[in-house]
Amino acid sequence: MNDRIERLADEAAKLGVTKGAARDGRWQALGLAAMVVGAGVALLAYPLSLGKSDPRDIQSLIILAVAMLAVAVLGAAVFLRYSLGRFLRFWLLRQLYDGQDHIDQVVAALREPPPSSTPSPPAPPAADLTERQISR
Amino acid sequence: MTAGNGATPPLGGPVAALELRGVHAAYAGIEVLSGVDLVVPVGAVVALLGANGAGKSTTVKVAAGLLRPTAGSVMVAGHDVTGAAAHDLARIGVCTIPEGRGIFPNLSVRENLWMAVPERGRLPAVEEAAFTRFPRLAERRTQLAGTLSGGEQQMLALCRALVVDPAVLLLDELSMGLAPIVVQQLYEIVAQVAREGISILVVEQFAQAVLGIADRAAIMVNGTVTQAGTPAEMQSALSDAYLGG
Repeated sequence: MNDRIERLADEAAKLGVTKGAARDGRWQALGLAAMVVGAGVALLAYPLSLGKSDPRDIQSLIILAVAMLAVAVLGAAVFLRYSLGRFLRFWLLRQLYDGQDHIDQVVAALREPPPSSTPSPPAPPAADLTERQISR
Repeated sequence: MTAGNGATPPLGGPVAALELRGVHAAYAGIEVLSGVDLVVPVGAVVALLGANGAGKSTTVKVAAGLLRPTAGSVMVAGHDVTGAAAHDLARIGVCTIPEGRGIFPNLSVRENLWMAVPERGRLPAVEEAAFTRFPRLAERRTQLAGTLSGGEQQMLALCRALVVDPAVLLLDELSMGLAPIVVQQLYEIVAQVAREGISILVVEQFAQAVLGIADRAAIMVNGTVTQAGTPAEMQSALSDAYLGG
């Protein structure tokens, strides 16, 4: 095998473990789950703390609620990162095709031979011109 | 001549650079590939020929990770990469030049090259190597890529793929919309690239253009590889494939 193929084989072996597209989907799902669970537990823990009389219970529940809010924010960030990544890839592709189409049109227009020189339209009779100028 | 994949022993050793095994693929439930078997040996140029609509470009899309096969597997250097993302395959060295060139038309020639090189420190060396190989692009380095001629755009696409030093190159309809003399020049460059040890799969509708440089050829009809063998063996089979004889 040549060097290129040896390098390719090494890289492909590592790739086989992760499988890029599936990995992106897993992170997106994990982010969504963290966001939902974090927000749900936080919303549950805080009202529960209001019903407690022991300050230690109240503190524990509020700490749990704040920690779960942090998990929800982190989950939202992970979810956005991977869903926006996919969206932006499609957006870039669309921009490319639009750009190519636009430039093709411009280039085609530039390469078209200039129109043959046509005689300029005859000047209107002086009387007409005067009438038009007067009517303005 | 073999029917099916033409899985003769790879030129460079027992492991093929790229191999498709029983690949099925579909667009919106409509099957386009039905059991494609194809081997690209290490350091070889393999021409995939066939009439319009035979499934050649879809085969490239599956090999490049742009389309997930519904069945079968894609092997790169002996490792199963079925379902791997296109950007991951490109990163490891499987580069695609798609139909329509896929360059950035509103960037200059140099900027198109920069897009392919993540490390800024390598840019001068990359530019020098690229412009030595393609002197015509050197003359147009500051010109917008969209305003180059078709052949120059295809050269830029090739150049951009080569600066990342790929192991496998997938070329989809290199000759599309180009004059025969330009196509001949491009295939001379492809042959030179193959001599450097890069394994190449060329999808081409115009068979004569590519058979001159290919080590092996395969013919696709209705989403499957019907014949494979040496270019000389494929010459006689071509009319049947294109005319349905």
